[in-house]
Amino acid sequence: MRRVLLVARRDYLAVVRTKAFIIGLVAFPILFGGGSLGVALMQNRTAPKSRTVAILDHTRVAAPEVIAAAQQRLPDNQDAPPGLQATPHLEFEAITPDDANPDQQRLDLSDRVRRGDLVAFVEIGSETLHPNANAKVSAGYYSNTPGADGNSRVVGDAVSNGVRRARLKELGVGEDRFSDVLRPVPLQNMSLIARDPQTGAIHTPSKRGAAESFVIPFVLVLLLAMIVMICASPMLSTVAEDKLQRVFELLLGATTPFELIAGKVVAAIGVSLTTSVFYISGGLLLLQGLALFGLAPLSLLPWFLLYLVAEVTMLCAMGAALGAACGSPQDAQQLVMFLLFPVVVPLFVLQPIMQQPNGPFATAMSLFPLFTPIVMMLRQSLPGGVPAWQPWAGLTGVLIVTPLFTWAAARIFRVAILMQGQRPTLPELLKMAVRG
Amino acid sequence: MHAVEIQNVTKTFGDFTAVDDLSLTVPEGSVYGFIGPNGSGKTTTMRMIVNIFYPDRGSIRVLGGALAGTRSEHLAYLPEERGLYRKMKVRELLEFYGELRGGRNVTAEINAWLKKFDLARCADQKLETLSKGMSQKVQFIAAVVPEPRLLILDEPFSGLDPVSADQLRESILDLRRRGATIILSTHDMHVAEHMCDSIFMIFRGKKVLDGTLESIQSRYGADTIRVGVNGNAASLQALPGVEGIRDLGQVQELRMAAGCDPQQILQALVARTRVLSFAVTRPSLHEIFIRIAGPAAEEAAHA
Repeated sequence: MRRVLLVARRDYLAVVRTKAFIIGLVAFPILFGGGSLGVALMQNRTAPKSRTVAILDHTRVAAPEVIAAAQQRLPDNQDAPPGLQATPHLEFEAITPDDANPDQQRLDLSDRVRRGDLVAFVEIGSETLHPNANAKVSAGYYSNTPGADGNSRVVGDAVSNGVRRARLKELGVGEDRFSDVLRPVPLQNMSLIARDPQTGAIHTPSKRGAAESFVIPFVLVLLLAMIVMICASPMLSTVAEDKLQRVFELLLGATTPFELIAGKVVAAIGVSLTTSVFYISGGLLLLQGLALFGLAPLSLLPWFLLYLVAEVTMLCAMGAALGAACGSPQDAQQLVMFLLFPVVVPLFVLQPIMQQPNGPFATAMSLFPLFTPIVMMLRQSLPGGVPAWQPWAGLTGVLIVTPLFTWAAARIFRVAILMQGQRPTLPELLKMAVRG
Repeated sequence: MHAVEIQNVTKTFGDFTAVDDLSLTVPEGSVYGFIGPNGSGKTTTMRMIVNIFYPDRGSIRVLGGALAGTRSEHLAYLPEERGLYRKMKVRELLEFYGELRGGRNVTAEINAWLKKFDLARCADQKLETLSKGMSQKVQFIAAVVPEPRLLILDEPFSGLDPVSADQLRESILDLRRRGATIILSTHDMHVAEHMCDSIFMIFRGKKVLDGTLESIQSRYGADTIRVGVNGNAASLQALPGVEGIRDLGQVQELRMAAGCDPQQILQALVARTRVLSFAVTRPSLHEIFIRIAGPAAEEAAHA
């Protein structure tokens, strides 16, 4: 154990003392936060003060109502934190339809959009006010970037409300009642109700915002995956580089291969915990500064750290074994993706898991030991959580598989580390793991 | 007690037998030289002694104990393939290796060794700033602090200038004087002859020589004439009773056929040229090495 800790101390200090580590640690949140801030600033800056949308209204009554609806429209994203989403400020211009030459009129309006006089134009069909029972009603939205235009949703809301207003007017409803009639009823996300296992009391349901439902789980899983990748991928290249520089034989005269690999893994765990403490502390301070400390998933932190240690142990042991098997620096580059497979695959399936966190696919993925840390972390952090036995079952699998992987990795490491100029094949690696 | 006891050890890599049924005993307190051509099994044998490789068959006992997958603080190993953490400072690196092997603070010993090898001024420099020779000396220190009872050195003198080689030789002999057992491999027969109490030669995985220089040479008898003549070695060609000539430049070594009388060779030589020196001697280790593993032996093996 003494030698393991000595190797770990050397490797840990060799990483955390480097400028690259310290700069990377500080730079990542700055780049990440700065990037988000930059996007928000650019959105605000690129939004002109006033942009005009023309309304080509074949009903001849809807256009004034659309304009009135747009002016009365409450910001639909009023619950969102400021700066996260810019509300376009639009002006509307009613256009009288030219029934004699409608195509020419559309062409003229399109040219105005191309010249930048208009941001877009909307064409409301004459049947829109009184559509047939089975007819599908829509208004045409013409812009330079159809389908990717951030204004279309705002314009669509205004057109819908404007047409409804026109219909209400026809029915004789007074304008003073429009706001009541047209007031939308947004859905409030709520947590499920549960009984406290200790007291037996029924918990009051709590409101779930987008941050709790999506942002926190997403950030938590990304942080876990990022730290694992930061710590695991350099292991492979470092071992390969040290092997090619023939550092290991002198070390193997003083330590066993298992002590050496264990020391390296412990060092990587140390680096991952250092990184986690830095980011978690920073995140908690940020939430406190934003008066959102209640959103901090403190109950998940022990699981986060457990999964982190397990994943780093597993991947770093594999990384050391693969690094030992490398015959050239190019080999190391090629093998990194193979090493990061248990992290990358869960990231690819985040969306289906978030949509059905307790579905059979998500449950199976989270109980497969290689994917447990990332997938189970995600499922645990989503509203509703997971059945209590599942994290423990997943952890049991991880605790069985991790030592097995480490043991096999140490056997591969012992044989492969002194092989120079050749890269063992996969069957040879398996043979090394079995026979030692 | 024996420092190393190897009993019928065989080690194979796939179809290749690197060491074949080897038995060897290294007495404690001796300097034991391992010689043999490249790829003959020296390094594999050393790695098995250090427990980096495990034998397929046979057993190895080191310092009286069986190897059990562990490392002994009393055993030090300097491999032929040398590499150090280039970003570490000299002192940091030596403290790391010293603690790794000895489990204690070895600062005083490190200071003494750095002084001995004129490296004290480099103690706070990174390894990457040192010359190759200086790095080799640092590696030697890394292998020997704290002081081992058994020191295994694979080609310790390769690449060293004469001054550094002398410093290293002195240090090795000093360790021996303090009771350490030294096993060293070398391609320099001069080193083997002058430094080693016993010599072991391995060829194609098999032991072909083992014993003191005296005992090895006595097996071959006084079948060598060391001669100096006027002019070049051309006058030595086709001398009756001479099986081979080795031209060393100023001196030539003649290998006599069995039963040949050196006096007849001397007479024949005097008839051809002026003889400056003439000595009947036993073959040098170099000559024995060539006889066992040289081109003639290779040809005979393939014939």
